[in-house]
Amino acid sequence: MFYPNALFGNLLIVAFGSAFLTYVLGKISQSLRNGFAIIISLVLVLMVAGLYGLGKEIVYFRFFDYPLLLRINALSWFFAITITVLSTLSIIFSLSYMRDTPQLDFYYLMMLLVNASMLGIVLAGDLISFYVFWEIMSWSIFLLVSYNKGPALAAGLKYIVISLVGSLCMLVGILSLYTHCGTFDISQLAVLIASAPHGYIVFILLMFCIAFGIKNGIMPLHTWVPSAYSESPSPFTAVLSGILAKMGTFGFLMIFYILLGWRVFLYLGQGVLSFHYILCIIAAITIVIPNFIAVLQDDAKKLLAWSSIGQCGYILLGIAFGTSLGLAGGIFHFFNHAIFKALLFLAIGAVEFRTNGVRDLNSLGGLVNKMPVTFMATLVGACGLIGIPLTNGFVSKWLIYKTLILKGSPFLAFAALLGTWGSFLAIYKLLHNVFLGQPSETHKNIKSAPFTMQIAMAILSIATIVFGIFPGLALNIINSIGISLGFESLDVNLWGIASETGTLNTINIFGAIVVFMFIVYIIFRTGAKSVLVPQDDSYAAGSYIPEGKYHYTVDFYNPFLRMVRPWLKDRIDQFYYWISSTSEKLAELVRRIYTGDLGYYVIYIILFLAVLIFTQLIWKPW
Amino acid sequence: MDISNGVNPALLIAIPLGLTFAIPLCGFISKRIGEYIPILGMIFNLVVAITLIPRVIREPIIVSLGGFPPPFCINLMADPLGVFLAALIALIGLMISIYATDYIKKGATQNYHMLYLLLLVGATGIVLTGDIFNLFVFFEILCISSYALVAYDGDKPGIESGMKYLIQGTVGSGLILMGIALLYGKFGTLNMAHLAQNIHSTTPLSTFLPLALLITGFGVEAALFPLNAWLPDAHSSAPSSISAILSGIAIKMGVYAIIRIIFTLFGASSLFHFILFLGLFTLLVGELAAFRQNNIKRMLAYSSTGQIGLIIFAFGLASTLGIKGALFQMTSHALAKALLFLAVGYMIYRSGSIKINSLAGMGKKMPLVSLAFAIGVFSLIGFPPFVGFSSKFLIVKATLAQHDSVLTILLGFVLLATIIEGAYFLKVIQTIYFKDTAQQTVQPWQGTSLAALIPICILMVLIVGIGIYPEVLSKILNAAAGMLLDREAYIRNVLP
Amino acid sequence: MIYYVGSFGLIIIGLYIVLTKRNLIKVIIGLDLFETGIFLLLICTGYVKGGTAPIFSNAKLTSALMVDPVPQALVLTAIVIGVATLALALSLAIRLYHHYGTLDLRKIRELKW
Repeated sequence: MFYPNALFGNLLIVAFGSAFLTYVLGKISQSLRNGFAIIISLVLVLMVAGLYGLGKEIVYFRFFDYPLLLRINALSWFFAITITVLSTLSIIFSLSYMRDTPQLDFYYLMMLLVNASMLGIVLAGDLISFYVFWEIMSWSIFLLVSYNKGPALAAGLKYIVISLVGSLCMLVGILSLYTHCGTFDISQLAVLIASAPHGYIVFILLMFCIAFGIKNGIMPLHTWVPSAYSESPSPFTAVLSGILAKMGTFGFLMIFYILLGWRVFLYLGQGVLSFHYILCIIAAITIVIPNFIAVLQDDAKKLLAWSSIGQCGYILLGIAFGTSLGLAGGIFHFFNHAIFKALLFLAIGAVEFRTNGVRDLNSLGGLVNKMPVTFMATLVGACGLIGIPLTNGFVSKWLIYKTLILKGSPFLAFAALLGTWGSFLAIYKLLHNVFLGQPSETHKNIKSAPFTMQIAMAILSIATIVFGIFPGLALNIINSIGISLGFESLDVNLWGIASETGTLNTINIFGAIVVFMFIVYIIFRTGAKSVLVPQDDSYAAGSYIPEGKYHYTVDFYNPFLRMVRPWLKDRIDQFYYWISSTSEKLAELVRRIYTGDLGYYVIYIILFLAVLIFTQLIWKPW
Repeated sequence: MDISNGVNPALLIAIPLGLTFAIPLCGFISKRIGEYIPILGMIFNLVVAITLIPRVIREPIIVSLGGFPPPFCINLMADPLGVFLAALIALIGLMISIYATDYIKKGATQNYHMLYLLLLVGATGIVLTGDIFNLFVFFEILCISSYALVAYDGDKPGIESGMKYLIQGTVGSGLILMGIALLYGKFGTLNMAHLAQNIHSTTPLSTFLPLALLITGFGVEAALFPLNAWLPDAHSSAPSSISAILSGIAIKMGVYAIIRIIFTLFGASSLFHFILFLGLFTLLVGELAAFRQNNIKRMLAYSSTGQIGLIIFAFGLASTLGIKGALFQMTSHALAKALLFLAVGYMIYRSGSIKINSLAGMGKKMPLVSLAFAIGVFSLIGFPPFVGFSSKFLIVKATLAQHDSVLTILLGFVLLATIIEGAYFLKVIQTIYFKDTAQQTVQPWQGTSLAALIPICILMVLIVGIGIYPEVLSKILNAAAGMLLDREAYIRNVLP
Repeated sequence: MIYYVGSFGLIIIGLYIVLTKRNLIKVIIGLDLFETGIFLLLICTGYVKGGTAPIFSNAKLTSALMVDPVPQALVLTAIVIGVATLALALSLAIRLYHHYGTLDLRKIRELKW
């Protein structure tokens, strides 16, 4: 019924055209625009789903008479489906979140434009298309991050300047590849680059890694992430952390395995100094430090943002490590992180919506009774983040740990473990401070989250658990991606992966947990009745219990933080700040050349002439 | 050589010149007719230039004025580069003259339109001529019109900057005249092709002195680094339509003159490295100086100097690809800067102040004009899918194609300047769209007039259109670049 | 030869005045001197020793006995350009005086940086 070729050729046109159409419709009627946005996002999901299993490329445009290609294969399809589904859920969420904000047409235009450009990136078959869509995505993100005004402006500016550095590095890399090999086509480049000298390959890799590392939030290129994530509107933050940052992951996959091929990539350099191992070490640092900085945060979204940076380290670790298990773990963790991080950001967004914009963890609390669905969603997301069995995070983390231990990298494995501890501390702080404890006076009467928000969160929670119990659903596709990139196949079935040193069989885990919970239930039922106690009945050692509430969440983890805080100053951010303030001072100095005095100006003219003549007379360079 | 089957390129200069003097004559009938005459002239020029392009790609047209054969006559040399630039001048001139019919309301508007058309005549003459003194004369027509137009508003900053521009410009013109004098004294001819033929027949020092004088003199108008001190004052105090034409066209004419002299006249290949570094330095100083400006027009002016540095850097690469990139960058900068100044003109008029902070909230009050500003800024920085991306793409490709690691490091500095440019321009975009209005409007506002919106819309469409289909310009630019690099062909075409 | 020295001298004097003097009128005069020096330079290049006016007034005159007419044409053009510039400069100076009340260049510095 659906002709895959027609779908493929028109996908981008539909995506981009619908963005502008939404803007125009918004001028006519609000609800028309909202409905159209949702319908078109769903249409895009269906279109991408219809492309399953397709593997072809088409020429769709000529730029300066270079043909621009669109290519779809298993990897692109996987990313594309994640992009469209997550984007749809975000737009559903935005229906109620963004109800009363100004400039809504612009918001929907930008959300759909971001969606379309991300589709363009994963479907690009040559480097010019890749770059063009990458840049369109970049400036769309800039406009959306600045959407909230106020402190968001500084966050947006920081983001776009850092992103511009990355993009220009990538441009140099792309054009250097062109001048070396004569083509922009990725598949042709893959053949031609294999014969290039290693130093040149490292240079190209460096250029691309800077660009993708900036987008992905790898240290030390991560400084734009906390401020940008926390200041952008929450549904967009879900998209931003869920998939936009993963465009960097897609880029890494493309440059490491499609362009260079694993044979070249894994053998650059020797032993500990090999390129991919250094990347693993950087990824390990990215796992450890940001997860602990997340614990220090008092702003809910900043906490999640730092935690995102940490999780991206896992993804890079899995990808760069170079084994098929690692690759599967990395790609699956990208998918899982998209799901549970988006879930977490949407949940915090719901809390923010109902409390009129409060994100400060020290003033929230006790919302579990008022917003039960949101609490369940956060709980599921937190479980996914930590990697509790039966959630999808567990499977992907298992894969990564497995490959680290199998290949004998104890330090990396320990770093990954440290990261898990840190993320556990951080996410528990979030969960406790927002939902548990006593509700504050101002937030006593908030309502539960609106229906559309609940739908989005519910779908994502279900996805977290489903992919935890039946990971094979995704692992099949990931396995085919791995095979297409030249790795050996994994033994995947619906409930897990078999490997040499033990099988992951989630159905066994599921069965074990069900049995265990049944036993616990029996014990509770037949044991003593539980007593209901009012929440503010605290032990005060005989003295009077003061009025008002105890908020147990201020200065959460204080002893631990006191120990850890001196180690976790954000020196990298200070370094970048120092660069920008120095350039501002330099700019002030340069301004003073133009003094306003006419005599100086004419002196400049005569000086220039004199310099020209004297250098010729004395050194005769010309 | 053979003009029997087509329009004579001399008409590109003659008709607008005649129309200039027709303006006061029409002024006897009605004062308002004078506003439309530059539009007529430029439409004519645009049509003629575009129809001439296919012919000159095949073979350049030489028009000998006065009936003598070259090298004894003053000749016009309509080669692909010249005709392309003439078309660009006509296009930008047309847009701005439509804008000016409503923007210029006070003062002696007839004189404004006369001087404006003279400026365009001077510019067209510069690109089409083949004789160096003729170049100087048209250059002076351009310069003197621009001195007067900068001071057109008659307010304090306008007069002051006009005065300073005049003095610096006259010093520069004097240096040019000195260079021409020395050249004539040595070689006895003023024809560029004849000079090019004989230039190497004497000691290097005696050709170097005129070269240095000519570069410095034309460099004042071209806004190279130490010589561009007039530019921020002049472009920020002039009326916005004049800033647009000056930034868009007039400074490019200085660059064209320098390029013609270095490449064709002197064939000074050893100077290519010099103009590479000079361009880079101009770029960095311009972008840094723009970084901390509070005055939006001054910021745009410094950015113009920076972009000229980039154009000169690309010319310094001296390969076909590099010159094509430089010419493309000229086009994209002319389009984008003209659009920016036109948009800013009305924004300043509405908010009553030239400071950047007063532009806050314009995104809501003047959505179309703010969109134009945003498109202009994105194109200048080099975001796809606008035309600035295509030109920067070509320049980076040309630099990397030289396979020279020093050039790659210099390219790093060029891209550093792009990042600085991005930082300050995007801050302005944020102010326009995402800050709340601080003050009430100063004048009662009836909406931006149609005459202003038409050129803004046309320029926006051109920026996006040429950005998506840059091959439109490829053929003519390839021919122009090839022509510039090939001195022998130039000499062969002119001299019998 | 002496004429070349004289013309360069005028040029240098003119430039010196433009560079160092504070009064705007003096600067304009310096500009005019600078230009005059250049015109003189231009004329010098066409000088033929012992030559006469380049008009065929006498049947025995050959082109070798005439001075070069081209620089004279160039200088005439350039003088006209110079006059236009000077007129513009002086009118701008008058308007500047209206606005600032002074012609001191050190005080006319509102546009800077």
